[in-house]
Amino acid sequence: MASHRIGELGLSESGPSSHHHIPYGVLHGINTSASSLINQGSAFDFGELEEAIVLHGVKGGNDESKASLFTGRPAATLEMFPSWPMRFQQTPRGGSKSGGESTDSALSSKTEPPFEAESPISKKASCSDHQAFFDLQQLRQEMASDAPRTASTQNQSAAKSPQEKRKGAGSTSEKPLDAKTLRRLAQNREAARKSRLRKKAYVQQLESSRLKLTQLEQELQRARSQGLFVDCGGVGSNVSSAGAAMFDMEYARWLEEEQRLMGELRNGLQAPLSDSDMRVMVDGYLSHYDDIFRLKAVTAKSDVFHLINGMWTSQAERCFLWIGGFRPSDLITMLIQQLEPLAEQQIMGMYGLRHSSQQAEEALSQGLEQLQQSLVDTIAGGPVVDGVQQMVVAMGKLANLEGFVRQADNLRQQTLHQLCRLLTVRQAARCFIVIGEYYARLRALSSLWASRPRETLISDDNSCQTTTEMQIVQHSQNHFSSF
Amino acid sequence: MHFEAAASWGGYVAGPPRGTVVGDPVERIERLASENAVVIFSVSTCCMCHAIKRLFCGMGVNPTVHELDEDPRGKDLERALMRLLGSASVVPVVFIGGKLVGTMDRVMACHINGTLVPLLKEAGALWL
Repeated sequence: MASHRIGELGLSESGPSSHHHIPYGVLHGINTSASSLINQGSAFDFGELEEAIVLHGVKGGNDESKASLFTGRPAATLEMFPSWPMRFQQTPRGGSKSGGESTDSALSSKTEPPFEAESPISKKASCSDHQAFFDLQQLRQEMASDAPRTASTQNQSAAKSPQEKRKGAGSTSEKPLDAKTLRRLAQNREAARKSRLRKKAYVQQLESSRLKLTQLEQELQRARSQGLFVDCGGVGSNVSSAGAAMFDMEYARWLEEEQRLMGELRNGLQAPLSDSDMRVMVDGYLSHYDDIFRLKAVTAKSDVFHLINGMWTSQAERCFLWIGGFRPSDLITMLIQQLEPLAEQQIMGMYGLRHSSQQAEEALSQGLEQLQQSLVDTIAGGPVVDGVQQMVVAMGKLANLEGFVRQADNLRQQTLHQLCRLLTVRQAARCFIVIGEYYARLRALSSLWASRPRETLISDDNSCQTTTEMQIVQHSQNHFSSF
Repeated sequence: MHFEAAASWGGYVAGPPRGTVVGDPVERIERLASENAVVIFSVSTCCMCHAIKRLFCGMGVNPTVHELDEDPRGKDLERALMRLLGSASVVPVVFIGGKLVGTMDRVMACHINGTLVPLLKEAGALWL
């Protein structure tokens, strides 16, 4: 069969044919189809080269590598030059003698470590060596066959006549391969491999960055919708449950609606609308507040900690947080001042309301304190053996938190309703405007605070920072309107 | 003797001695509720019950507290209260002047809207 092959390929039988036996014997073990290409009478040109390549290739356990060659490595790294065809996708050389294929492989052989190089440098059975090996076959085929080649324009060697290639191949083989050439070829191989690895790493890095970017954008979006400035420490460390995320979204919507209602109330007061019309608007405002309390009650079931830690509010509001919301007595104190002038009866009513609220707040605070103490005792005490039971008891106690948040919200809701009963309709409208304005200012303060220039910044930029600060303050002026 | 033997629970005024009580739990509740101006049914470990006790004490009221977990027939009472209130969360529940006021929700709402204090005064639990 070998001789038949020789005839086919038309290679000369010159040269020390004895050399070829070694590689062929080895080759036979590896890949019959490949070996079939190796003809005993192959030109002297490739003999020594082939031997060296094959021997080195054999060392590292070729079979797996060869198998991987055939199955094809992940395309990503090899598609460095996508316009050049991927060798691995082609069928084993075993049958193909088409001019196109051989041309392709010859071309790709130019990009991959050149076929001429032996691989004394790369000891391991790298695929590139095997590529080189196959290139070798292809080139021999190509050289031998007289079939016209469909040259690709990508490689100038293809543009060259086949004779040149033959000549080139021939010239290399006619004299012993010099060290410089070998080294250069090996270096090319190494460079190509490193390049592939770099590209792979880069692509992976890009993809992970892309994911992180999407995540950050989502957080930013959420924070912006609440009118918060994103402070760098918060983004990314914010782990919110589904219930919390939904609440944040709904709360943002609620705030927008509140601003709108506030505007209507203002217009109504200015217009001025009749008392009955104002009453309708005030009732609408009250039911708007009822909505948020309802929403909070639902959220308390799924994520009470989110409500308690106040991440849904702005920083300044969080300062004054009491069991997941505002403290009614503080609000009333503020209102008593802002709503002047009030009738004697109304003032008395307001003070009475504040007093009752304070008592209720105190009771709830003490109840919560007892819950905390009980929780501490449960977690801290008890034998270690009883760990699971301990946790179960602790969980049961934590469940009471929801009750406290609900009672606190109930207190807030009752207070607002009572306010409306105490005041005239116009006073009630003003009351709501004051409340809305107050919290809008707290939110604006939080934004300002978050964006204030820090001392750690370089002094060079001081002037710029001041300007920025001024700009921020000016921008926020429209937040503040008199009422 | 029987009365002396009857334990007073946690320093609160005890109900009638166990042995002499007959009748269903609902009746017992009603009877207990009408014995004092302010009666609270509670569970000793419940924090919300603690809160409501603090509320009344803060107002200067001295409520009568029945801890269901310390009553041998507490379970029955609990069930009866559940039927009365129509909800699973039974404690704390407050009776003023023998009449049912409700749980923490209702009590706080009454306090805020100003109806609790008159009720207490009426029942004689508060003096001006």
